[in-house]
Amino acid sequence: MPRTRAIAVLAVALLAAVAPAAARAVPEHATLHASFTPDRLGAATTIAFAFKLATGEGLAPPPLTRMDLRIPAGVNYTRTELGLAICQPDALQARGLAGCPANSRLGYGSAVVEVPFGVGAGHEIPEIQAVAGPSPNGNLDVLFYANGLYPVYAQLAFSAEVLPDTGRFGSQLNTIVPLVTSVPGGPDVSIVSVATTIGPTGLTYYKHVHGRLVAFRPRGVSVPERCPRGGFPFAAEFSFQDGSHTSATTAVPCPRPRH
Amino acid sequence: MLKDPRGQAREPIVRPLLALAVVLLLCAQADVSHAANARVARTFSLNDYGRLHLTSHRGFTLNEAGSASGTISGTIYIHLTVASTNRVTAEVNIYPHGGSLTGYASASYRPAGAVATFSGTMAVLRGTGTYRHARASGLSFSGTIQRSNDAVTVHVSGRMSA
Repeated sequence: MPRTRAIAVLAVALLAAVAPAAARAVPEHATLHASFTPDRLGAATTIAFAFKLATGEGLAPPPLTRMDLRIPAGVNYTRTELGLAICQPDALQARGLAGCPANSRLGYGSAVVEVPFGVGAGHEIPEIQAVAGPSPNGNLDVLFYANGLYPVYAQLAFSAEVLPDTGRFGSQLNTIVPLVTSVPGGPDVSIVSVATTIGPTGLTYYKHVHGRLVAFRPRGVSVPERCPRGGFPFAAEFSFQDGSHTSATTAVPCPRPRH
Repeated sequence: MLKDPRGQAREPIVRPLLALAVVLLLCAQADVSHAANARVARTFSLNDYGRLHLTSHRGFTLNEAGSASGTISGTIYIHLTVASTNRVTAEVNIYPHGGSLTGYASASYRPAGAVATFSGTMAVLRGTGTYRHARASGLSFSGTIQRSNDAVTVHVSGRMSA
């Protein structure tokens, strides 16, 4: 067989092998935003993070099934007072935030979901709460509670585990996201965006002092004491119901030196 | 000088024997001296509790001081470092009457709720004074951290030689 013909056959074979993979690829797109408030080296802080998901065409993505958020190395959990109490998942599911001790609150936020029927670009779930949950595996556990009223009436409690990480990242928040059906027997809703906090901003804890119940603001996790070149890195990986994945990164800029 | 039967001169046999005797004597003396200095390592069961309060903190390390009671009593200092979200390491110094002990511990860390707990092992690698020969490994090391004020309790137990 002439050499050029063999090369042509090989090229066609390679193209045939690659083409289906390219056709399968679902170009989900993710953006991630993170911030520290206050943003000072070593200061106790509130971490805010938000993400948006869409297909390459700007449409609602497939239903989200998993999210792993990677948090920069040096974020210090040593002296945080967040999660001085534990909320039981059953109580959270049954009674919402009212079923949890005030001292279990970790943060709060909101989400936008897309339902595969009706009109409208997205529907806000105005209430997402993060509370400290029991830790069956010995790791910090965050319970998220989403209270959807319209058009999807669903109260969801699901947990995320804080695991140690390596390299530029010190820990990661691994979340298994449950599927939510739009209507009984109908397709699952898509999460378009989520914004939430982990930290003391907007939280009030209580403690007994000389027999009196005193309100206080809990101490948050601390901003690292050194800022790496390029800022504090955050990264997130997203997995979808159809088996596709996408990821996003961002960085919180280094705070300006204080004079 | 002795002469052999053939009339040739030969090394006197007394001198090497004497030298050998001196060497043997010196060796024997050294052995006796070593035996006098040698000590039989005493192994005993350690079971100690410590209650500590936060004195300072830096980065991921809590510096704690308090008192230890049990088999060995005295002032106890712990530098407890939260190495990751689920692991702590510690340097433990105990100052009983007449000496000191230094140990290093590594433990899993479970920060759930108001009281975080840790559990792992500790080795005693140094001592001074009465405890200068203290050594141990695989000691059980466990305790709690009261998250509202960072007060620590610690329990160390196992076999130690001193």
